[in-house]
Amino acid sequence: MHIDPLGEISHDPLAKIGMLMLATVTLMAIFAPLLSSYSPHDYTGEIFSPPSMDHLLGTDSMGQDIWVRLLYGARTSLLVAGAVALLSTLLSVLVGATAALAGGLYERFCMRIVDAMISLPTIIVMILVAAYLRPSLPLLILLISAFSWPGGARIVRSQVLSLKERMHINAARTFGAGWRHIVSTHIIPDLSPIISALMMQDARRAVFMEAGLAFLGVSDPMVISWGKMMHQALAFTYLDVWQWWLVPTGLALSATLIGISFLSCSLETAMNPRLKKDHARDNARYG
Amino acid sequence: MEQKREHSFWKILGKNLFPASLQSYLIALGAIFSLNFILPRLMPGDPLHAIYGDEALVAMTDEMEAQLIRQFSLDKSWWDQMLAYIMGLLQGDLGFSYYYREQVSQVILGALPWTLLLAGLALVIATAIGIILGIESGFCRGSSLDRGLVASLMFLGGFPDFFIGILLLLIFAVSLDIMPLSGATSPYAGYEGLAYMLDVLKHLALPLASMVLVQLGGIFLLTRNTMVTLLGESFILTARAKGCPESYIKYSHAGRNSLLPVTTATGMHIPHLITGALFIEIVFSYPGIGSLLNTAIAARDYPLIQGILLIVTVTVLSANYLVDLLYMRLDPRVRYAH
Repeated sequence: MHIDPLGEISHDPLAKIGMLMLATVTLMAIFAPLLSSYSPHDYTGEIFSPPSMDHLLGTDSMGQDIWVRLLYGARTSLLVAGAVALLSTLLSVLVGATAALAGGLYERFCMRIVDAMISLPTIIVMILVAAYLRPSLPLLILLISAFSWPGGARIVRSQVLSLKERMHINAARTFGAGWRHIVSTHIIPDLSPIISALMMQDARRAVFMEAGLAFLGVSDPMVISWGKMMHQALAFTYLDVWQWWLVPTGLALSATLIGISFLSCSLETAMNPRLKKDHARDNARYG
Repeated sequence: MEQKREHSFWKILGKNLFPASLQSYLIALGAIFSLNFILPRLMPGDPLHAIYGDEALVAMTDEMEAQLIRQFSLDKSWWDQMLAYIMGLLQGDLGFSYYYREQVSQVILGALPWTLLLAGLALVIATAIGIILGIESGFCRGSSLDRGLVASLMFLGGFPDFFIGILLLLIFAVSLDIMPLSGATSPYAGYEGLAYMLDVLKHLALPLASMVLVQLGGIFLLTRNTMVTLLGESFILTARAKGCPESYIKYSHAGRNSLLPVTTATGMHIPHLITGALFIEIVFSYPGIGSLLNTAIAARDYPLIQGILLIVTVTVLSANYLVDLLYMRLDPRVRYAH
């Protein structure tokens, strides 16, 4: 699988749109203190004030500036996305690759756990655990990672299983290469496209899970989260405030999610030559 | 000879009813049982407080506490506690919801039909539309229809399901005011028969539409991509060569085979479907498990949350099991393999 995914996707309009959306959210998160004159925990004193120069998106039921909370919410989302993507993908690769390489009872044990975890309604398990532990942000990240890795582990395992039977690996083995050398110079580099796709998937799921859990009322009270803002705003749909409270927050969350999906979809197409538009067999038929 | 055939018949029947995946479903169920049992008992302090939550115990008398301790065998060893827990479960006792002042099993059974109605209908409708659109789109790949469908459905599928629900709610119920805002039936309307059915459908329309919109994208893309891959196979070339009409190739050759990965994916998607339904229910205050979960979280009614987890897990695993059985009907290779 020697293709350059980044070079492939840079020509795809889908990837460009996704990249643009993610870049906007990232810039919002980085420059949050510069883009606003309030702190997200400030109480301005006026509740439900409509958008104005002072408050770009008005204020919420507690009198807090919605625009500022939107900016700082981006930080939470991206932090959770990044941390979970790293942690969960690491777990997937560790379990999947060791299962494929070690084989035997260990492999069957790991894969049984993976199968069982995939068939569970993860978010409710997380709600139960979170309801008992009353999670802080790091704990939430650990919790989401602990339930996101099985799908990836299955993919990594099947990939490593097919990789380790390939000709060049057998060749390396006949030259006397040890397992450590084969893993680090042949298997891991060949896995990198899969790993990047997994990280995107995990990041997307993490953003959704964090917002979803907060939307259900499971979150650290001190953390500013888009899901929690939507949860609060949903109680006030009978007022006009939803126009600048509920909708912009939902759009910010959707833009983040759609941005990640577009990027990962384009990455997937780049890595699966059968789906590519300029496939030779295809040109023969339609060209 | 006769005996041998009978043996293989039973073997096939056994394989049909007990696919290999059943084992992992049982493991999953066991994991949830253990989680429900261990988690409250791992918490620091009095296990009764952990099982019922501090908030519930404020309202409890000493007598009730003593009775509960006896019921859970909390004054005995872990082994006895586990026996008491398992015996309780076998009798259908999921605990007592202090918020609703009713048995947890009763509370959940009252809400479950609404969730099953919503999720089940959404699954059927989304799968049907997704497969048909996917076959059509994959068959004429690169056409404007294909490109438009892929772009719009991918865009829709990117939205978090509860936000699609919120948007539909804001547009059709809040701004245009043509749809009911919440609930599953009009309260105190006293409809009967057909009027009742219409009322239920009217309340169901928005939640169902938002679920279908979110689910559609994944099924569509998978069917389409499978179609694209299948159309390059040689059996399609054979069908073309022997002069099969295009519509026959589209549905009977490529379409039928593209059902297989879709069925697998649908099975794997069922947990997401059910949890998606829970979010949608909260948005529309639909009286299913989701709204129940919302109340339980807000009230910190732990036995109710545990009960919901257990019931949803059982529902999801049984649905997965049914999908496995269906898969074996669709793909004879799995039935006779091994």
